[in-house]
Amino acid sequence: MNLLSVVTFVPLAGALAAALLPRDEPGQHRALALVVSLVTLALSLFLWFGFDVAAGAAEFQFEEQRAWMPSIGIGYHLGLDGVALLLVMLTTLLVPVVILSTWQAVQDRVKEFMIAILVLETAMIGTFAALDLILFYVFWELMLIPMYLLIGVWGSQNRVYATVKFFVYTFAASVLMLLAILYVYFHDGGTFDYVQARSALQVTTGQGRWLFLAFALAFAVKVPMFPLHTWLPDAHTEAPTAGSVILAGVLLKMGTFGFFRYAMPLFPEAALHFRPHIATLATIGIVYGALMCFVQTDMKRLVAYSSVSHLGFVMLGLMALSAEGLTGGVYQMLNHGVSTGGLFLLVGMLYERRHTRLVAEYGGIARQVPWLATVFVVVTLSSIGLPGTNGFVGEFLILSGTFLSRLPYGQVLAVVAASGVILGAVYMLVLVEKVFYGPIRNEENRHLPDLSVREAFVMAPVIVFIVLMGLMPGPFLAPAKPAVDRLVQRFQQTEARLGVQSQVGTVSTAVAARPPPSPGGAF
Amino acid sequence: MTGFPTRDFLALVPVAVLTSGGLVLLLSEVFLASVRRGYQAGLTLVVAVLAAVAAIVVPPAGAVFGGQATVDAFSVFVTVIICGGVALSALMSAGWLHARNAERGEYYALTLFAAAGMVLVGMASDLLVAFVAIEIMSLSTYSLTAYVRRGRRPSEAAFKYMILGAVSSALLLYGSSLVFGATGTTLFAAMHGPRGAGSMLLVGGLGLIASGLAFKIGAVPFHAWTPDVYEGAPTPVTAFMAAGVKTAAFALLARIFLSSQVGADVHDLSFEKVLMVLAALTMIFGNLMALPQRSVKRMLAYSAIAHAGYLLVGVVSARVEGARSMALAGLLFYLAAYTATVIGAFAVVGSIEERTRGDVEPDRAWDLSRFSGLARRRPGLAFAMTVFLLSLAGVPPTAGFVGKLYLFQAAVGAHLYLLAVVGVLSSVLGAFYYLRVVVHMYMRPAEGTEEPVAAPAMVFALGVAALVVVLFGLVAEPIIRLAQGAGAMVM
Repeated sequence: MNLLSVVTFVPLAGALAAALLPRDEPGQHRALALVVSLVTLALSLFLWFGFDVAAGAAEFQFEEQRAWMPSIGIGYHLGLDGVALLLVMLTTLLVPVVILSTWQAVQDRVKEFMIAILVLETAMIGTFAALDLILFYVFWELMLIPMYLLIGVWGSQNRVYATVKFFVYTFAASVLMLLAILYVYFHDGGTFDYVQARSALQVTTGQGRWLFLAFALAFAVKVPMFPLHTWLPDAHTEAPTAGSVILAGVLLKMGTFGFFRYAMPLFPEAALHFRPHIATLATIGIVYGALMCFVQTDMKRLVAYSSVSHLGFVMLGLMALSAEGLTGGVYQMLNHGVSTGGLFLLVGMLYERRHTRLVAEYGGIARQVPWLATVFVVVTLSSIGLPGTNGFVGEFLILSGTFLSRLPYGQVLAVVAASGVILGAVYMLVLVEKVFYGPIRNEENRHLPDLSVREAFVMAPVIVFIVLMGLMPGPFLAPAKPAVDRLVQRFQQTEARLGVQSQVGTVSTAVAARPPPSPGGAF
Repeated sequence: MTGFPTRDFLALVPVAVLTSGGLVLLLSEVFLASVRRGYQAGLTLVVAVLAAVAAIVVPPAGAVFGGQATVDAFSVFVTVIICGGVALSALMSAGWLHARNAERGEYYALTLFAAAGMVLVGMASDLLVAFVAIEIMSLSTYSLTAYVRRGRRPSEAAFKYMILGAVSSALLLYGSSLVFGATGTTLFAAMHGPRGAGSMLLVGGLGLIASGLAFKIGAVPFHAWTPDVYEGAPTPVTAFMAAGVKTAAFALLARIFLSSQVGADVHDLSFEKVLMVLAALTMIFGNLMALPQRSVKRMLAYSAIAHAGYLLVGVVSARVEGARSMALAGLLFYLAAYTATVIGAFAVVGSIEERTRGDVEPDRAWDLSRFSGLARRRPGLAFAMTVFLLSLAGVPPTAGFVGKLYLFQAAVGAHLYLLAVVGVLSSVLGAFYYLRVVVHMYMRPAEGTEEPVAAPAMVFALGVAALVVVLFGLVAEPIIRLAQGAGAMVM
């Protein structure tokens, strides 16, 4: 068992241990879960520091390959490329934060709650680390069960509707991907291994398009892309804070990661074909999500719709198929995990104080909770993409990458998408104003406690990473670079094979090579 | 043929073990006082294990009794599945019958006789032997259905089951006679011979046989009896039927279907087309009709229909030479996984269903509301049920997932794309209604106050079933190997 396998399964082992602890000792369960998640984080740091970012290094590192069900071609194959590494790190970082944030919010069935979170962590890491198509699918589906329980058991009033919708939506979209995986098995020489399948897959143009669509559907629901996003506002709103944070922070990234890792490299030809359509949908999602935010009265719902908008940026960046756009897309995945995760944590903290998520119930509380207000503003600025925060780097790369790319109508899409940035600034600042500034209209808001020490510890990593990733993006972009370059290369090879005019990369290489004018300049 | 056919009889040892176990139970029932009846389930368990061991130990003899039965790795695998089903359902019955004060030796004896019939069905390679074996199996299950008659429902169920069962037997027999007329033989192996090839007689005969078997597996449109019988029968009997009858009937169907496919011709294709249509209809309607059910037992009955549909996909996939061994192995794996899963699920249903005294009709005995809040009252039971339901829905990492994966892999390998798409999409409906039970167990406050039956034997059976379901999902390789070995059936 190598390090990556250990990181993947430590949380599961923790969940099994928690199953043995007595039910009546919630304190023990909280402590155990926190310790296990911290150990996982510590172990994953070895992955981070052990990862070789040199261009000549192996594509997949920390690989482990074993037979699992060899009779039907299924292997146990784990490995990380730079993008997966970043997402694994995001996961291992968010989970302890989430567990700490539930210290008081979850009082009911703590044992089951912690078990669900830990199982979920294993499933999430496994999804990013899997290099076998069936293993990937197993982790992908395994993730649904704890999430389903998290929303359904610990959620708010309308939780059952939301969780069933979430499960059925995702499950329905995934089964077609399973069929596509099976189809791939019969056209790549009889293996489910991703690395082998990628090089050996032999399908016609038509077949490739169908397969791409089957994969894309599963991922598009997860992202979620307009118009498949309707499960998201419900699930986010009804989920407990921990569920929302994990959902926004990590689960949505699985969709975009799926495009990056599976749908695009496996079927490059089909990806080129459908690229303009997906990019258009992504742009519609950006504007639509932003516009929906204006009419929300529920804070969580607002943040949920802002996710639709933000993930639209990621998809746009991926579809630009230029080094800048792809890098920006990957970076924006991390940003969204940190900043939207942070927003959900903060909304959860407000909810714990006042037991309502309605914007109208608040107002003018900045004086009562100055620290909370400060943190909220910082996270908001990151979400808006203010220069100096992480959001700026990602959005800038995506927009410039799209503008300069060879994507059909790329410039139009980039301009329309840029309006999403402006709209985003408006709705988020309006939210801050309505919640924290102005006169206090509601008497109940007069006596609210500020951030406790525990809550400060919850928010500290979020703030640190917002600033760090905004000022010093270099170390976070470095691991992604080889993976991005390989993908671009793969598409260039496909074009060469097809003999079509170049559609990937940027129009003007000079601009792409210059570093973006980010304030830190460490790019 | 000279001398006594020792080898042939030796191959039937598992059947002999099961039958003599049943006889012992019948005799001991007469001599032992009613207070000591706890041993019966234990004895049944021992007999089932012995039969399974005998099946594994005795080397497969191939064709016996002049080719009328075939004892190969395929039939051994089927025998072991059936014996496992008997063992699990006997353990479950012990708790269930005890709570209703209805323990009797006949019950277990009938179970064993039925099992003997099922094992024979799995071995049969002659239409007449198949018919007799099916009757042995069916007569026992008819009686078991009416074993605990409280209220109207069990009698109705047994009556319905018997009448429709008789119709299906008649179809089978009539079909057999037509096939005999066309080919001059009742042996499967000779059915594809030149004499009858393409004749209307053979097509009609095979069609009638297929319809008769479709009754037994509960395929749409021959499914009408299934929900009523499954709901009306005592829950352990339902579990046993759902697992055992299905396993046996599918083994037989696969054998007949493949025999008729050798030397494929125009008429053979029609048999396959019929099965394809049946498979699609069964998957779609089974799942659709399960959707609105509030009675969990009835929901599981409809879902049993849907699962017959998935299994039919496996049978049809076996037609293509390249996908045959995969399809048959998938079929066997699925049957094994389904046996553990469905008996486990019915065991949970049985342990929390409303217990009635006298002739009071249990009106909402299996209503969803009885599952409300189960996770708080009995976390273990709720967890086990969740495992079974996820397995039925085909969610990893459970046996049901690997089974579905395997079957659909075979279907894709056999180029049955449309059928595979229908299969996976209809299974999404399944996820919806299975999850509804989970919603009630975990997300709704408790309503009932009645304590679930928690006999040690039942808890043990549940534990074993859940363990099998999870292990088959995680470390399926050894079972897949065995199934692959068994899939290379002797034709």
